[in-house]
Amino acid sequence: MNTHASGPASPSIEVTRVADDQWQALEGDRVVGTGDLSHRSGGRAYVSIDAWHDAAFDRLARVMPAALPTPLHTVVDEDDHDLIARWRQAGFTPGRREGEYVVPTDPGVTGLGAAPVPEGVTVVPFGAAQEGPLRDLDRAVRDEVAAAGGWHTMPAEVVPLPPGVTVVDPAKYAVAVLDGRYVGMLRIAPVPRRPRIGLLAVRADVRRRGIARALLAEVLGSLHAAGVAGAWAEAQESNRPGLSLLAEVGARRVGGNVELERR
Amino acid sequence: MARVAKGIELEGVVVECLRGATFRVEMQKGHVVLAHISGKMRKHHIKILPYDRVLVEISPYDLTRGRILFRYRS
Repeated sequence: MNTHASGPASPSIEVTRVADDQWQALEGDRVVGTGDLSHRSGGRAYVSIDAWHDAAFDRLARVMPAALPTPLHTVVDEDDHDLIARWRQAGFTPGRREGEYVVPTDPGVTGLGAAPVPEGVTVVPFGAAQEGPLRDLDRAVRDEVAAAGGWHTMPAEVVPLPPGVTVVDPAKYAVAVLDGRYVGMLRIAPVPRRPRIGLLAVRADVRRRGIARALLAEVLGSLHAAGVAGAWAEAQESNRPGLSLLAEVGARRVGGNVELERR
Repeated sequence: MARVAKGIELEGVVVECLRGATFRVEMQKGHVVLAHISGKMRKHHIKILPYDRVLVEISPYDLTRGRILFRYRS
């Protein structure tokens, strides 16, 4: 949790908005809490609070939402029941839930070593994708999300980018190509020791053909060859195809997040 | 403008991952603190593993408690 009860509950906490996206809770001349605002794709606003005691948290949780348009979101570890309760007190209600997984890379464990690549599909490994078609694919996937379920169903960390700018670093992407067209991509964040699968997406018109599995096979195989034993991944609990694929490759659930929303 | 006192920030190494985004962190001087991950790091899905080097802000109320502000890349 962000707070703990070792500090005094003081009525003299003053909250100040020190920047458009930052708040500070002061008790005398001491900072006893900070609040932060950030925006995600689709315009979703996310707040977080770090406070040294409950009174500071509660004060920030009253002042910040009052100064911001709704809906507002926040993300809490699913096991942090105290913090979830505090956000609920501030008018937030639990929404989407996302599991965190460790995905093994060993083809002997994932079973992907012998998995056939779908007919007509080739997988372009990291660093070899062409930037233009990759950006077109990224834009197409984002448009499909916006036109279908909307960003509120997507992972919280999908960040908004300036118009026309999509892919930040093409070297982090492996790409599936079907009949010369980029149709699927997998982005890896190169976190030391355990990289993170940040995105796995396939164009809507070519799903259910094994393209995501082929991308995963290529990427996990590469990581295994580089001596990496596992990768992080997240999947929303309602994402049945994603959960099914993770289960199939032997991914282990190690935790999860709850997103809370205030309307 | 009034002078504002922030918490003490120290580097440490994560020695144990506990439930609820809580970690046991051994500080450079050898003492161990129980640290939560900051709200900003949680929002950005920053993952912490044992042996990760981290920056911890120590609670001004309890020197055995802290908050992880940053995970170093190496």
